[in-house]
Amino acid sequence: MNEERLLELVPLAALGALDGEERAAFEAALASSPAAQRELQAYQELVGRLGLATAPSQPSAALRERLLRETRPAAPRRDWLAPALAAGLVAALAGLLFFRSERDAARREAAALEAAAQEARETAQKAHAEAVALRESLAGELAFRELVSYPETRVVSLAGLAAAPSARARVVWHAGRGEAVLVAFGLAPAPAGKAYELWIIAKAAPVPAGVFQVDAQGRVVFRLPAGLEFAGVRTFAVTVEPEGGTPAPTGPMVLAGAVS
Amino acid sequence: MTSASPQAASLIRRLTRGDHKALGEFYDLYAGLVNGLAVRILRDRAEAEDTVQEVFVQVWQQAARFDPSRGTPEAWLCTMARTRALDRLRKRSSRREEPELENAGSTEPPRAEEALAVRKALESLPADQRKALELAYYEGLTQSEIAERLSEPLGTVKTRIRTAMIRLRGVLGPSS
Repeated sequence: MNEERLLELVPLAALGALDGEERAAFEAALASSPAAQRELQAYQELVGRLGLATAPSQPSAALRERLLRETRPAAPRRDWLAPALAAGLVAALAGLLFFRSERDAARREAAALEAAAQEARETAQKAHAEAVALRESLAGELAFRELVSYPETRVVSLAGLAAAPSARARVVWHAGRGEAVLVAFGLAPAPAGKAYELWIIAKAAPVPAGVFQVDAQGRVVFRLPAGLEFAGVRTFAVTVEPEGGTPAPTGPMVLAGAVS
Repeated sequence: MTSASPQAASLIRRLTRGDHKALGEFYDLYAGLVNGLAVRILRDRAEAEDTVQEVFVQVWQQAARFDPSRGTPEAWLCTMARTRALDRLRKRSSRREEPELENAGSTEPPRAEEALAVRKALESLPADQRKALELAYYEGLTQSEIAERLSEPLGTVKTRIRTAMIRLRGVLGPSS
């Protein structure tokens, strides 16, 4: 469609009177013709003005009410109040949840701290026990080294008995100084509530010479309490006894060694 | 230009800002015009009022789209009213007979200068041109439908309408 033809159709197009193939061809060609677009706009405006020729006629009064009612913006008060109340409620709930969450968090934190403190106490107790054991062990070893340096010091080997066949031990003692150390290997840790007890056997009944435990590897360097009497000793023996110790042996014997 | 246009421009600015009171004033100014055109096209007061309602709701929602460089508020309103009324006319024609022509309160005279000018320009057209134009304008008929209605060749109808439009444009000139 050439431009002349296009421009001829503009007045009809502005009225919406084109149809069929002609309308399709016009719309297709319009896009590439700025002149036709300007003409179309001018004619469309003219078509708009033609409405003015019609005699005005007032609609019913009810229509005005209907229009204003249907387009009225929501009343400010109701529009504002409900969201404000809702926002306040949300804020309150959020606050409550926040405090509840804070409180729960604090409780959890306190519980965690308590658990940590308990764990620390247990760790400290364990460390303390280990330190005590190490100190005793070290004291035993130091005493052992010192003891073996004396010419008067004597040694006796103890063999494992039926209850502890793989156990072996030695007792070194200095009768004049009243000091002695037991070094043992291969003893199973004593059952719960039990301990090993060393006995000095001379002419009379066995004399208790101290209660000890072994480490996880079944080892121990045990320094005997001071003030023991070693004169006339014939045998050293170890039995399993209640962990507080007993004045006389009651449990099974695990180690024994005769003094030559 | 109509005497109402400066007032209309102010009202449209207020409508653009969402001033609901301005809608009432705008309606008071133009409801008669819009309704008159809708009644003329639809020949049914109830349907015309529904159209008027739709047009002013559209004004309320789309006042910002009004472009003064493309015509007067009156032309804008008439275009919206005609488009919506013709839509109703097409839907109706597919399901019922055209209603009886009723007295649409057309005794009320056009109130503005330009309305009078437009009416005079239309009246000055030769009867055959005016008839073809009115069938296109008020009934939304296409050129082929008009040719059929008038039992005239299509080319003749097209020439009449085009000639009428060119003449009106010459008489009325640009709106502003």
